[in-house]
Amino acid sequence: MKDLIEKLTEDFKISDVVYQRPDLAFVTVPKGVAISLVTELRDFEGFSHFVMMSCVDWIEEGKFQLLYLLHNPKTKTDVGVKTFIDRENAEMASAHHLWKQVWTYQRELKEAFGIDFPGSPRVDENFVVEGWTEMPHMRRDFNTKEYSQNTYFPRPGRETNDPAEYMRKKLYPNEPITAKKQDNDK
Amino acid sequence: MSLKDILTPFTAWSKVVKEPVTIKDPLNREAAPRYRGFHDNDIDTCIGCGTCEAICENEAIDLVPVDGIETKDGDSGLRPKIDYGRCCWCALCVDICTTNSLRLTNAYKWVDTDPDNFRFVPGVDEKDWYKREEGWRKPEPNYEFYGLKRVEMGELHPEEREDSFVEMIKGYSKEQAEAEADRCVECGICTATCPAHMGIPEYIKAIRNDDLEEGLRILYDTNPLPEICGRICTHKCETVCTIGHKGDPLSIRWLKRYIADQNPSEKYKKILETDILKKNGKKVAIIGSGPAGLSAAHYLVLLGYEVEIFEKLEKAGGMMRYGIPEYRLPYDQIDKDVNYILSLGVKIHYNVTVGKDITLKKLGEDFDAVFAGTGLHLGRSTRIEGTDHENVYQSIELLRKITQGEEIYVPEKIVVIGGGNVAMDITRSLARLQNQKYGKVQVIATSLETEEKMPADREEVIEAREEKAIVNPGWSPQRIEIVDGKIKGLHVVQCLSLFDETGNFNPQCNMENKNFFEADMIVESIGQGMDVSYISEDIKEHLELGPRGRFRVNDYFQTSLPWLFMGGDTIQGPDVIHGIANGHKAALGIDKFLIGE
Repeated sequence: MKDLIEKLTEDFKISDVVYQRPDLAFVTVPKGVAISLVTELRDFEGFSHFVMMSCVDWIEEGKFQLLYLLHNPKTKTDVGVKTFIDRENAEMASAHHLWKQVWTYQRELKEAFGIDFPGSPRVDENFVVEGWTEMPHMRRDFNTKEYSQNTYFPRPGRETNDPAEYMRKKLYPNEPITAKKQDNDK
Repeated sequence: MSLKDILTPFTAWSKVVKEPVTIKDPLNREAAPRYRGFHDNDIDTCIGCGTCEAICENEAIDLVPVDGIETKDGDSGLRPKIDYGRCCWCALCVDICTTNSLRLTNAYKWVDTDPDNFRFVPGVDEKDWYKREEGWRKPEPNYEFYGLKRVEMGELHPEEREDSFVEMIKGYSKEQAEAEADRCVECGICTATCPAHMGIPEYIKAIRNDDLEEGLRILYDTNPLPEICGRICTHKCETVCTIGHKGDPLSIRWLKRYIADQNPSEKYKKILETDILKKNGKKVAIIGSGPAGLSAAHYLVLLGYEVEIFEKLEKAGGMMRYGIPEYRLPYDQIDKDVNYILSLGVKIHYNVTVGKDITLKKLGEDFDAVFAGTGLHLGRSTRIEGTDHENVYQSIELLRKITQGEEIYVPEKIVVIGGGNVAMDITRSLARLQNQKYGKVQVIATSLETEEKMPADREEVIEAREEKAIVNPGWSPQRIEIVDGKIKGLHVVQCLSLFDETGNFNPQCNMENKNFFEADMIVESIGQGMDVSYISEDIKEHLELGPRGRFRVNDYFQTSLPWLFMGGDTIQGPDVIHGIANGHKAALGIDKFLIGE
């Protein structure tokens, strides 16, 4: 595994190599060479099986991190190819021509994160949520709680207690109270 | 449209008498071992902190009271109730759980016709999946949403502090304080345990938001001595901190100090909006300028009262100044808190002893109410043979003299009797003075209690040893050996237990296991008593006594003489934070007494 990655490092500008296990390594490459590296691994290094594709939202850095996980059935090893793309107007070269199932992953990422893969078949069709009008729901700035508050009605009869306030009422109902509590009581 | 299209919908009526199609899984398939199914909760471990509810993105969790679970220090008595109409099985509630009591079992099948049955309290409402070990638990270790380790506090190394009274704790920087504040989950469990019920999660949040002026306002809502408490509070809050169940509790005390340290005293009035205070024309006298007296004065002056404090000594602060060594609580920090209270218009009469220079009766006549926060300033003696020797001292007396700058007798060999914080204070003070005088330390602190049961804070014992004092607990003092008028040392025997079966103080000793500590001087530090000589007999006869010889007070610290209120160490504690809380509540009680509801 190490030999393979060292061999490819210069041509594909590989950085941040993580040898997770003897049979699993991750590499990070620039956006422009990611699909070339995936192609190289598939066509010349035996990583013929596409395991999956996923995304992480690095909102603080303004980036999405894409991961292509590939498997070599002969050596029983896996390589994860990672690359960062801009979060704004997120777009990535499509890999649908390499494996047919990549279509579906790219369609899912378009729906969940809003990343476009121009040319990928059916990429604009709904994946699991129909008629979605909010921002893509796996982006970290999507407010899940606010969405569920606005969308789903509360079941009748539900009530909850703030632990600090409940303890005050139970243990020291007549004691001087804090600023927050005074404001609440007003 | 064909005839078939019209008739087809009516064919559904033929199904009306059929059995429902929902059936139990005939294969009874097990879910994967880490499958995230229905919850279980170990309700004895759960403390009802509510972090599961706070993190739930679907608002699927309510905190509800449960029969048989008591609300007490460190446990709200509430337990999570899940609404499975909303739960999405993400397990964030499990991953944030501060006690690791909550888990998801791998049970995923449940058929019921009543939707309300899909709301239940895991661990309380009986479900057959609790016996399953499979499911999702928080992976351990190192899988936490918050830091388990507290941000280390910088302090002077033992060799830097062992001959100096310079403050040893350095305080947090902005980065350190914000990192420490970031560990708080804002559950508020600590608030109940704090005697002053400070808004702890709120002021920690203010640190996170870098809004230290808001932090100061929150501190002063319940505690007008934040520089002092930020240094020497007994921090009971930290003993119940939710994060402490799996990691280090939050450094609540140091965070409080950080807020106070960062706000300059000249900005206090502007921040706290106390530039102009209305007067209500009523006057209150306060006896003693310790934590209770200062706290009462602060809240009374805010309520519009004219307040005058009568202080026996030459400076304000009481036990905080005269009982706590400067290396723990520098005098300029006491001054910062005291001067702000005085700047609000509180008058203080120094070197005035009530009962001698002015009578309590006179105060009662001249003022609308009196609050007495006189503290425990009389040292208690073991009364063993030899304690009447001139070189047997009370710790409280020596600590006061050190503060006053008086030279005290510091021989080469000293034994301190006592295992509390005051004993550690005098041990460490004497160790410093020995170091200054002889360049070495030979002070032994011994107590009836064993190491595990010593009432002193653990860090005090550790730091005393770092400063080369010897702490040798578990011994009962028997007699002081005196030869030719000079103290030679202390004879002790092993102490086996302190209390009998009925809980009464009744030390049991192994008289065969003896020891002898050489000493030129003995210091007794086994507790303090109150001095009530300021109360004349004609007043005393109207005061009811409560348990343990203390005067009886009501919830507002009002004695049986309506114009006389009492609080602080003579009533509760002894510690600074109880004094502050008592003073605050007594101020509200005085207001209630004089103005009404």
